[in-house]
Amino acid sequence: MIYLDCAATSLEKPSSVVRAVTRALTTMASPGRGAHSAARRAADTVFRCREAAGRLFHVEDVSRVVLTTSATHGLNIAIRTLVRPGGRVVISPYEHNAVTRTLHAIPGAAVRVALAPLFDSGALVESFRCLLAEGADAAVCTHVSNVFGYVLPLEEIAGVCREAGVPLVVDAAQSAGVLPLDFTALGAAFAAMPGHKGLYGPQGTGLLLCRDMPEPILFGGTGSDSINQAMPGDLPDRLEAGTANVPGAAGLLAGMEFVEAKGPGRLLRHERSLARRLGAGLASIPGVEVFLPPEEVRCGVVSFRLSAMDCESAAEALGAMGLALRGGLHCAPLAHRTAGTLESGTLRASFSAFSHMGHIPPLLSAVTSLQGAPGGRRAGGRR
Amino acid sequence: MVYYLMICRSLTYAQRSAALLERAGLSAYVQRIPKPIAREGCGYAVRVPERHLTQGLILLRREGLSPRQIYIARQDGNYEEVAL
Repeated sequence: MIYLDCAATSLEKPSSVVRAVTRALTTMASPGRGAHSAARRAADTVFRCREAAGRLFHVEDVSRVVLTTSATHGLNIAIRTLVRPGGRVVISPYEHNAVTRTLHAIPGAAVRVALAPLFDSGALVESFRCLLAEGADAAVCTHVSNVFGYVLPLEEIAGVCREAGVPLVVDAAQSAGVLPLDFTALGAAFAAMPGHKGLYGPQGTGLLLCRDMPEPILFGGTGSDSINQAMPGDLPDRLEAGTANVPGAAGLLAGMEFVEAKGPGRLLRHERSLARRLGAGLASIPGVEVFLPPEEVRCGVVSFRLSAMDCESAAEALGAMGLALRGGLHCAPLAHRTAGTLESGTLRASFSAFSHMGHIPPLLSAVTSLQGAPGGRRAGGRR
Repeated sequence: MVYYLMICRSLTYAQRSAALLERAGLSAYVQRIPKPIAREGCGYAVRVPERHLTQGLILLRREGLSPRQIYIARQDGNYEEVAL
């Protein structure tokens, strides 16, 4: 199988990650729950995981690096901290359901989308500026669109938020590990990211970076201040009730060390070159529409659609040919609405450090054959 | 040897404190708070030898990691709180 669905999860992991998870499973107990060596090993590993995140994302106080189960988990915490019932929030037009569904579940939350033409960074910043000037309790912005690989002008948007005095929540699901994210300099209130995509950790892991004090959404034991029935007032304990995912943290630590060793910049250049090659190849196939942001604001994600076949059928057909892509709306209908692809959806190819140029020609050949396949359905249509 | 227990706000604070002291060449060991002095039920402390206490406290205060309380471990196995 040629795996090109890394935006969903980086299936291929460094061997160090696999070893770390295995070692943790067999030698580490629960941190903060005992004084024995197995508990200490677990505690040390979890702490080193926080330290690695602190280095990668420029967080000096690693107490503010909270282990979560996913970016979605972290976004729920951040959004529910800042947006109360009836609250006002401004979001980008590329947000994932992890953001929009969370907001939808807050009674009376007034959500305004900073509309702008597709991939128009200048217009997007101005749209944020205008909406924030009307007042908001929070802003939420994804760093990279999971559908199109478009790198949003996060630094500028963060600056607009700071000027307006509006706390910002960053969804770094697609950027963590490939784009620089200086959390301290950005001045965001929170940044959520998964451990299992660009950080090469296991599924079931994530990080939430906290400048502001969050409200817990999970209550329980923390191995500290047990007599006190309120959740601890300090991070990370305030958000880490229950048993920590120690094998996950061990794997995530190894994944982040892999990213540190490779260098996020080098990983980004690698993924961009693959996206460039694939985008050019797809664009040369008759009937294929490619959605590519300008090179300087692009990550390793390429969305496209076929005239001959709907995206779900195409994804299934490609899967049968040994090519793993994702078709549909990618849990981001808002992004598709922005691009005009809500009805059709798109096929999405996405890369990792383990993708290479040899993966491109088979995909191009397969897409060419699908475009030429008799009886194929028109993209976005129904029989 | 006389040693002190610096009571920390959480395990992570204890780890941060110990890491800071160790980077400065001071001896620091993270341990559970002994039950007789665990005011909040349970928690973590950093154990330092007497000779490293003063410098350790200066470093911790500088980084915003001042302990909640400090106890001296007596020869008889008891602990006595000392003023910060």
